[in-house]
Amino acid sequence: MINEAIREKLRAAVGAENVLDKDLDRFGYSYDSSFIPLLPANNPDIVVRPSTTAEVSAVLAIANEHGIPVTARGAASGRTGGSIPVRGGISLSLDRMTKIIELDERNMMVTVEPGVRTIDLYNHCAAKGLFYPPDPASWKMSTIGGNVAENAGGMRAVKYGVTSNYVMGLEVVLADGRVITTGGKAIKNVTGYNMTSLFTGSEGTLGIITKVLLRLIPMPKVRNTLQLMFPSLDDACATIHGMLQAGVVPASAELMDKMSIQAVARHRKLDLDQAIEACVIIEIDGEDEAALVKQASMIEQIARGFGVSEVRIAASPKEAEDIWAIRRGLSSAVGALAPTRLGEDISVPRDAFPEVVRRIKKIAEKYNLPIAVYGHAGDGNLHPSVLCDLDNPEEAERVHKAVDEIFAAALAVGGTLSGEHGIGMTKRRYIADALGEDGVAALKAVKQALDPKGILNPDKIW
Amino acid sequence: MTTTNTRDLLKEVKDIVTQCDRCGTCLTVCPLFGVKDVEAASARGKNNIARAVVEGGFKPDAGVLEAMNFCLLCRTCIDNCPSKVKTDEAMIALRQYISDRQGGPGVKYRALGVMMKKRNLVKFSAGALKVVRKLGLGGLVPFGMAPAPFTREQYLSRFAGPAALAGEPPAARGAVVENAKVAYFQGCGMRMMFPEAVADTLAVLGTVSTPRQVDNVCCGLPHLAHGLREDFLALAKENISLFAADDIVVSDCASCAGTLKHFGAYLADDPEWQEAAKAFSAKVMSLSEYLVKAGYKPRQRSSAKMTFHEPCHLGRGQGIKKEPRQLLGAAGDFVEMAGADTCCGGAGSFHTDYPEIAAAILDKKRANIEKSGADIVVSECPVCLVQMNKAALKSGGRFKVMHISQVL
Repeated sequence: MINEAIREKLRAAVGAENVLDKDLDRFGYSYDSSFIPLLPANNPDIVVRPSTTAEVSAVLAIANEHGIPVTARGAASGRTGGSIPVRGGISLSLDRMTKIIELDERNMMVTVEPGVRTIDLYNHCAAKGLFYPPDPASWKMSTIGGNVAENAGGMRAVKYGVTSNYVMGLEVVLADGRVITTGGKAIKNVTGYNMTSLFTGSEGTLGIITKVLLRLIPMPKVRNTLQLMFPSLDDACATIHGMLQAGVVPASAELMDKMSIQAVARHRKLDLDQAIEACVIIEIDGEDEAALVKQASMIEQIARGFGVSEVRIAASPKEAEDIWAIRRGLSSAVGALAPTRLGEDISVPRDAFPEVVRRIKKIAEKYNLPIAVYGHAGDGNLHPSVLCDLDNPEEAERVHKAVDEIFAAALAVGGTLSGEHGIGMTKRRYIADALGEDGVAALKAVKQALDPKGILNPDKIW
Repeated sequence: MTTTNTRDLLKEVKDIVTQCDRCGTCLTVCPLFGVKDVEAASARGKNNIARAVVEGGFKPDAGVLEAMNFCLLCRTCIDNCPSKVKTDEAMIALRQYISDRQGGPGVKYRALGVMMKKRNLVKFSAGALKVVRKLGLGGLVPFGMAPAPFTREQYLSRFAGPAALAGEPPAARGAVVENAKVAYFQGCGMRMMFPEAVADTLAVLGTVSTPRQVDNVCCGLPHLAHGLREDFLALAKENISLFAADDIVVSDCASCAGTLKHFGAYLADDPEWQEAAKAFSAKVMSLSEYLVKAGYKPRQRSSAKMTFHEPCHLGRGQGIKKEPRQLLGAAGDFVEMAGADTCCGGAGSFHTDYPEIAAAILDKKRANIEKSGADIVVSECPVCLVQMNKAALKSGGRFKVMHISQVL
């Protein structure tokens, strides 16, 4: 579908050394970190690696003229197939656009290119005492472009919100190669539609983000970490709600069920009391040590009221890091328990957390499948992981039914299909259940207006 | 792992690579991806190519073999991987599988394998390289394989510390060596390229034990790594027999020691050899590991500022990280450099197969050595030392390179 003349144009646009088209190379851009099978491979026809907005613009102009699909890609650490070039065409790899263009300390904002890794952005700002809070679990490898495109969340959402809460403006290359900027450094801005919000979380279907303007906040001066063990998951959730209602807002509050903790124990030689049903990891931050001590003691007091069986307050940064390492390694530790792990991402009103966990456990029993549940209990975002072997057709059938029911359960308690991973390919078939036919039609109308030829990341979201 | 039965090899690969959930953590640490940022160069890229081979998406052909060869086997990815996917073992197994299918690993590796298999050829090369160095023609040997030596004598005269001239008597024997029969395993790389360091290793060992010198054969790592597993196993068995009577086997080459320690695992399914192999591996120690256990005290304390380049096969391969630093701290002014445990790009014959990539990796190492302000970069692996010597040359002599035995 991409003939030699077009290939030549693409090479001219970005430089021949920034184009890959050998089989083994293209294959490397066919997957992401979702459970979409590796084979048959969703190879792009060509991988194009621009370094500037002008190059992105030139590539899109060529693609639009010839109706070639374009799928943006950062680190391919996404979990829903967002960067998979499912219809071939161009994999637009933005991982070489890695400049931190400006750190504006007075306005407390930073302008970056999309290929900057989240952790590098964080560190760059932290060196100046500024804080970029969103911290998706993949923050060491994920790129900020992908974070914005998927509206990534993270563990600090309960107190600090998600990526979209920090995006002030964008530079976007439209499907035909025109370049627009949205938003800006003015805090108050109601000039026209809020296009910044529209592109944030648009999963690469409306335009290619080439610059991101992010707001920052002052870095909390001190932090600490607590680990709470509960003999009951309901009580663990109740503790978190109790804290929030009492005005103790943790920077994060992560909950893991028994199966999740056991998965980590395998990797980390964690001694685990068999009576433990839930583990909550809490980060607190504040102005000074006294504030931390006060928060920690309030949390402990609330937790005691709900029958906590173990309270561990980190005594050193190293111990805090040890505790967090448990949580950060969790996703992969759970993944290692079975040939396939279908890790889902649903989000519910905070008070529905225990209820949806109960429903998921019933689904697990009904279909005789182990389902590990962990997530951001502070904000109602949870990740049920169905552990299975999809090579076994009979089991695969049960798995798909179970996943259908998990989404139905999320919607039934007033929740939604995705908290932070996006819809991508893996949740397309549920989108109408969540938004309704008319809701989906509205999305399509927006898409049609901005990308009339439908070249940008086709076959995603709906 | 003992058989070259092709189906077993594919299963071995499959069991490893299906553990990869493609999160991408390795992309941030893979030294190769650090200098060639194409997915196929990364651990994730190669593991998934391997998975596609297992699942029928790619033919196991020369192109795939080349992709699998493009790996340092440095294990940095494994150290950082949340699922601990053993990329090095997957690469080695798939290299073997493809080599078996195409009737061998290719001319280059087969030639290398034949040479390293024969004691006499290794010794002949060692002799030839020695003559070349004596004539001052080391620069003519490609890939820096005949580095100009910076000898212990030169070191002592330049960085004379308080004890250097006093000729302090050797420290008392440590507990570990009481009545233990210690043997020295001489690696091919040490023999061929660093005979002066070998002499110093023997001198150091001689202060805490009476090391038996054994006419050993190659440890087999070059064979294992490049599709010559049968040769590797034959060499392993020969070495096991040669050291049967010893209690401790010490090697001053991290790659050799690391490989010897794995004989037990590689022969675990061989009823005839499993026990002997396990027993053999249990008695292998790297030089710095042994010296610390033996309570060795350096013969002098010099004024040299020293930093340590940690060989992959020492730190990640054997978990020996503290020991060399502890010894160097006692021997001189030890300073830790940034990225000390990052692969130098040497990786067996990798630096001769991909000289430009290896040089790009080495440039980062050189910058870190220079930044540390060290007079001497010390290591415990001959291929690393070859790389360090290239770095020293490029830095215009800002630092010297020595094997750890030469400064203790």
